[in-house]
Amino acid sequence: MPGAVVRLAQGCPAGTVTSVMPRPRPLTLPGRAALGEAWAMTATTAQSAPGTSAGSGRAEASASAPVVAFEKVNKSYGSMRAVADLDLTLHQGETVALLGPNGAGKSSTLDLLLGLRTPDSGLVRIFGTTPRQAIEGGRVGAMLQSGGLMEEVTVQELVRLACDLHPLAHPVRQVLEEAGITDIADRKVNKLSGGQEQRVRFALATAGASDLIVLDEPTTGMDVSSRQTFWAAMRAQARQGRTILFATHYLEEADEIADRVIVLHRGRVLADGTSAEIKAMAGARRISFELDEPADEAGLRALPHLTGIEISGRTVRMRSSDADATVHALYGLGVYPRGIEVAGLGLEQAFLTITDAATAEEAGR
Amino acid sequence: MITLIKLEITRALRNKKFMFFTVIYPSALFLVIAGTSDTTSLVPHTHLTMPLYYMVAMASFGSLTAVLMGNSERIAKERESGWVRQLRLTALPGRGYVVAKIASAAVATLPAIVVVFVVAAAVKDVRLDAAWQWLALTGAIWAGSLVFAALGVAIGYLASGDAVRPLTMIIYFGLSILGGLWSPTTSYPQWLQNISDYLPTHAYAALGQAIELGGAPHTKDIALLVGYLVLFAGAAAWLYRKDTRKA
Ligand SMILES: Nc1ncnc2c1ncn2[C@@H]1O[C@H](COP(=O)(O)OP(=O)(O)OP(=O)(O)O)[C@@H](O)[C@H]1O
Ligand SMILES: [Mg+2]
Repeated sequence: MPGAVVRLAQGCPAGTVTSVMPRPRPLTLPGRAALGEAWAMTATTAQSAPGTSAGSGRAEASASAPVVAFEKVNKSYGSMRAVADLDLTLHQGETVALLGPNGAGKSSTLDLLLGLRTPDSGLVRIFGTTPRQAIEGGRVGAMLQSGGLMEEVTVQELVRLACDLHPLAHPVRQVLEEAGITDIADRKVNKLSGGQEQRVRFALATAGASDLIVLDEPTTGMDVSSRQTFWAAMRAQARQGRTILFATHYLEEADEIADRVIVLHRGRVLADGTSAEIKAMAGARRISFELDEPADEAGLRALPHLTGIEISGRTVRMRSSDADATVHALYGLGVYPRGIEVAGLGLEQAFLTITDAATAEEAGR
Repeated sequence: MITLIKLEITRALRNKKFMFFTVIYPSALFLVIAGTSDTTSLVPHTHLTMPLYYMVAMASFGSLTAVLMGNSERIAKERESGWVRQLRLTALPGRGYVVAKIASAAVATLPAIVVVFVVAAAVKDVRLDAAWQWLALTGAIWAGSLVFAALGVAIGYLASGDAVRPLTMIIYFGLSILGGLWSPTTSYPQWLQNISDYLPTHAYAALGQAIELGGAPHTKDIALLVGYLVLFAGAAAWLYRKDTRKA
C-alpha cells in the first residue's frame, strides 16, 4: 500500500513512534465518472480494506461514532450553493487538511461543523452528537478564519477565560507555552501583530483536552519561522491523539502536516486521499505521442506510474505521476513514439480539469 | 461565566473614555447645571429644589450612559469582529455573553450613581430626611437601569458598523432630553410633556424623585418601566436569536 508507506515516511519523523497510526484511506475521486478514464487508474493505489480504528490511548474517543460525520449536507446563501451534498467522515487520530481555492466552501463547511450555521438539509454530527453538545462537552476546540478577539485585555487574561470556559481545561501556563505566547502573555490583545494574534487564537482552540481541533486557515499572516513553530505545536497536538481538521490554500502546508487531504471546490469534494496521492495528482504530467502502427493496448496500460490513459487509433494521451520513468519504460516496449510531448500539470490545472468536467457533466444532465 | 463577567468589568474599568462619560461627566454636568442655581428655590410644579432634582436626574443620566453606551456599541463591534462567534465555540451557554455584558454594565453603573450623590452632598449640601432614602435611591436607580441595559443589548444586535453610534446617540439624547434628565419637563410645551410622561427615562427619574420626597415610587412609573423592560428584553432576545441563526 504505497500511500501508507509515504504517510509513515512523512508524517512520523524518525524516533517518534506515535500512538497515532493514521488509518489508511483509499483515494476517492467523486468526479471520476465525469472524467472518463483520465483519473481512473489512481484506483491502483486505492482499494485498501477499511482498517481497524486507530489505536489510541484516548478511550472515550474510540467509541463507535466517527469524530466527524457529514451526511448529504447542503448550505446555500441565496442562490449561491456554498456546500453541496457533502458527505464526509473523519476518524479518530487523523490530521486532515481541507484544501481549496477562495470561495470553495471551506469556511462554510467548518461553520456547519461547529454549529455556527445550520445546514439547509443533511446531518452534521460530532462524536455522534450535535455540534453544540460536543462543544459543551469540551470535545471541540476551534479557531475561526475571521475570529475577532476580546479587546483591552491581556493575552493571559484571555487565555485564562478560555481555560475557565473549557470543561477539560489545561493549566493556563501550559496553554501559553504550547502556543508559544508565554513571552507576550502580558501584552494587550489589540496591540498584537497579525501572526501573534493567530497564535493567541490557537491558544484559545487548545485551551483544554479537546478530542477534535478545527482550524480555519491558521497560518494566515505568519512568517516562515512562525509557521514552523506553529506546525510543531500542531504536530504535538496530533501526537496526543487529537483529530485535527484545518483549512488551507497551500498544498505544501497540507503536505507538511496532514495525513489526509480533502480537496474542496464549489462546495463539493473533488478528491480525498493522502497528501502524497493528491500531490501526485496535482504534479502529474501529461504525455502524448503518435505511434506508427496501431497500439499494443495491454502493453501501454501496463506502463509504470500511469494515472490515466486514452488511446484513439494511433494517438495516445496519458497521465503519469512520474513521467521520466513512464517514458523510459515506453521506449522499453520497443515502439517508436513520434512527436512526444510531456507537459506539467499544476494543482490549479488539476482543479480546473476536474471542475470543468464536473461542470460539463452538470450541463449535460 | 464568572470569569467572563469579571473580565468584562475589568475591561470597563480600564476604559478611560467609558469611565469618564459614565462617572465624571454626569457629576460635572450636575455641578454646571445645579452649581449656579440657588439651593432653596423649587423646580416649577414640583416640591423639589434644583439640586435635589438634578441629583436624581444626573444619577439616572449616568447610569443610562453606562448601560446604553456600554452595551450597544460593544456588542455591535464584537459581533462584527467575530468575537461573539468565537465565544459560541466555548461551553459558555448562549445567553452568557449578554448576561455578562449586562452584569458588567451594572457594576460600572454603581460608581456613576454614588459619585453624583457624593458630589451633590459635598458641594451642594444636599441632604435627605432619612438615611434609608439614600439607599432606596441608589437601589431604585440601579434597578431601573436594567431597562436601558436591555435596550442597549437590543440596539447592539439591531445595528452594526457605522450605524450603531448615531442610532445610540439619537436614542440616548432623545430619551435624556425628552425624559427630563437635563431640564425639568415642566418647562416643555404641553404636547411634549404628554409624550414625555410615557418615556422610560421620565418614569426612571420619577422613581428617584418620589423617594426624595419621602414616598414610594408611583405605581404608574413602575408599571411603565416594567412594560418597557418586557418590550426591550423581548426585542433583544428576538434580535439575538435572529443574529445567531445567520451566524
Ligand atoms: N454570509 C454569506 N453570505 C453570502 N454568501 C456567502 C456568505 N459566506 C460565504 N458566502 C459564499 O459562499 C461561498 C463559500 O464561501 P466560504 O467562505 O465557505 O469559502 P472558503 O473556501 O472558506 O474561501 P476562502 O479560502 O476565501 O476563505 C463563497 O462563494 C462565498 O462568497
Ligand atoms: Mg474561508
